[in-house]
Amino acid sequence: MNFYVKIGDFELRSPLLLASGTWGLGEKEISGLEYISALITKGVSKDPMPGNPPPRLAEAPCGLINSIGLENPGVETFLKEYLPRIKKLGPKVIVNLHGESIEDFCYLAERFENADVSGIELNISCPNVRKGGIHFSESAKDVFELVNEVRKRFSKLLIVKLSPRSNVFDIAFACEEAGADALTVANTYPALAVVSLKPFKVLLGGLSGPAIKPLTLRLVYELSQKVKLPIIASGGVMTGRDVVEYLACGATAVQVGTALLIDPLGIKKIYKEFEELYQELEWGS
Amino acid sequence: MYKARVLENGELTSSIYSLVLSAEDSLLANFLPGQFVKIKVSSGYDPLLPRPFTVHAIYDSAFEILYQVVGRGTKAMSRLKPGDEVEFFGPLGKPFPRIEGSYLVSAGGVGVAGFGYLCQGLKPEFSLPAKLLYGARTSAQLVKLDFFSTLLPVEVATDDGSLGLKGTVADLLLAELNKQSYQAILACGPKPMLKALAELGRTYGVKIFLVLETLLACGTGYCLGCAVPSRRGGYFKLCVDGPTFDAEEIDLEFLR
Ligand SMILES: Cc1cc2nc3c(=O)[nH]c(=O)nc-3n(C[C@H](O)[C@H](O)[C@H](O)COP(=O)(O)OP(=O)(O)OC[C@H]3O[C@@H](n4cnc5c(N)ncnc54)[C@H](O)[C@@H]3O)c2cc1C
Ligand SMILES: Cc1cc2nc3c(=O)[nH]c(=O)nc-3n(C[C@H](O)[C@H](O)[C@H](O)COP(=O)(O)O)c2cc1C
Ligand code: FES
Repeated sequence: MNFYVKIGDFELRSPLLLASGTWGLGEKEISGLEYISALITKGVSKDPMPGNPPPRLAEAPCGLINSIGLENPGVETFLKEYLPRIKKLGPKVIVNLHGESIEDFCYLAERFENADVSGIELNISCPNVRKGGIHFSESAKDVFELVNEVRKRFSKLLIVKLSPRSNVFDIAFACEEAGADALTVANTYPALAVVSLKPFKVLLGGLSGPAIKPLTLRLVYELSQKVKLPIIASGGVMTGRDVVEYLACGATAVQVGTALLIDPLGIKKIYKEFEELYQELEWGS
Repeated sequence: MYKARVLENGELTSSIYSLVLSAEDSLLANFLPGQFVKIKVSSGYDPLLPRPFTVHAIYDSAFEILYQVVGRGTKAMSRLKPGDEVEFFGPLGKPFPRIEGSYLVSAGGVGVAGFGYLCQGLKPEFSLPAKLLYGARTSAQLVKLDFFSTLLPVEVATDDGSLGLKGTVADLLLAELNKQSYQAILACGPKPMLKALAELGRTYGVKIFLVLETLLACGTGYCLGCAVPSRRGGYFKLCVDGPTFDAEEIDLEFLR
């Protein structure tokens, strides 16, 4: 197949990337990596984070609600112990960053500027502790400042991952103005599952999977008509048809997330289905 | 996922079913006692997540699981007919620990499922347990008694006394530990039973291994959704570090 696109200097020969948090940190074997362009790591923070106590998961109709709490070993251990192993898997590596302040993100960006990674993806669906905990993604001004500061310190591929719980248009313009290279659209949708009624217990988490595909597809469609930045779609990709739909709606590439949790052999299947449709549609010819 | 054909699927009691699936021998050769598979229970996206089940027994080109119907997924499984195709993936998780010396297996309810393959003795590196201690609410709920009885000595307990000791698996274990000493106990069943056994193990200074459950999304170590709190802080991942854990390593609050 002759699929080929570029995001900045970043070349993709497959439209597929693996989404953050849905393939671990390279501890376990992943089948089908030859069909993907890049691995996006689980969110990495400055200090280690233990993650949330159980329960961390709930099922929803056609979807999954997760509240993992960004469990990760912290940037230093990540660089020393995890990154070398992830590099050995083959595909290019993009590190998903989690910060609670602009300073956190800047610190992380500096640590990765000289590390052997192709890019970073900023997760802005998290609270900004300096602003009383309101989410970065709720303020276009904060996002502009964040991306602007990170850009000064990071010369490689800089992606911002939007939260669907925001005015995505204002945020996208802010990212564009501040010098981001691409947008990931989007993170999980804020959701709630009632875990038990007596005693009343709920799980607050992010909804992913096929349930969110129509919602994210619409965001991609509308955003791609308004912003110039390339869009990497993330939301409920389960089949080659889903990949094609996202590309047709304006995405440059797509991420596979929940689909890999369900079928560890799914990457190859999705790619083959995509390839077949791509040729059938005579795209790229 | 791998494809499999349903060879048999039927009720053993009012809520516990047995499902036999075809699978290639080359794949089955990788299965070790204590490991599990995940089974896709719908052809569409709802329910979305494959359901985990321990492997109960291995036959020529086939394996069996025992499952209790508790919700939507297992309800859908109960409707499978011979000849239907299902998708599954495995083996997943760590096998049982290899125990040298005399040890017991103790099961409550459908928790007995996971011990069948071990007791079949098909893998020489896993020695056979000395005895199975097996409890359920009533005698009708004690499934596969004939199967286990041909493989090893079995002692049973029922809450209503309809068969064996009137009492619980913990009562059986207490009696057993007062008679004889054992190297270790492997236990699978509901949380209160596991907690009682873990406490007995501590009192008697016997090592107890607990087979635990959580909700799983991936079962392959990718999502970090199956956290089991460690006694030393932080979390294990049930699907790769377990499902069998040394009771001393986990925070027993988890069993509350
Ligand atoms: C490693 C592992 C091995 C297992 N082996 C077996 C087995 O051999 N035989 C067997 O019968 N069951 C086994 N289970 C449990 C089995 O996976 C669940 O009962 C099943 O997924 C329920 O699916 P459902 O769609 O019918 O229920 P759902 O509709 O999803 O849930 C029904 C109710 O059960 C609860 N529930 C669902 N899954 C679990 C769980 N894992 N632990 C506690 N509560 C749960 C839900 O919260 C809900 O209240 C195992 C679980 C694990 C993690
Ligand atoms: C278990 C799990 C963990 C995730 N962890 C992260 C994370 O650490 N950082 C992040 O930006 N997104 C995270 N995500 C979001 C995914 O990367 C993805 O954007 C989202 O799940 C939507 O895509 P999907 O429907 O294909 O899964 C996580 C998703 C899941 C299901
Ligand atoms: S269920 Fe996903 S890591 Fe265990």
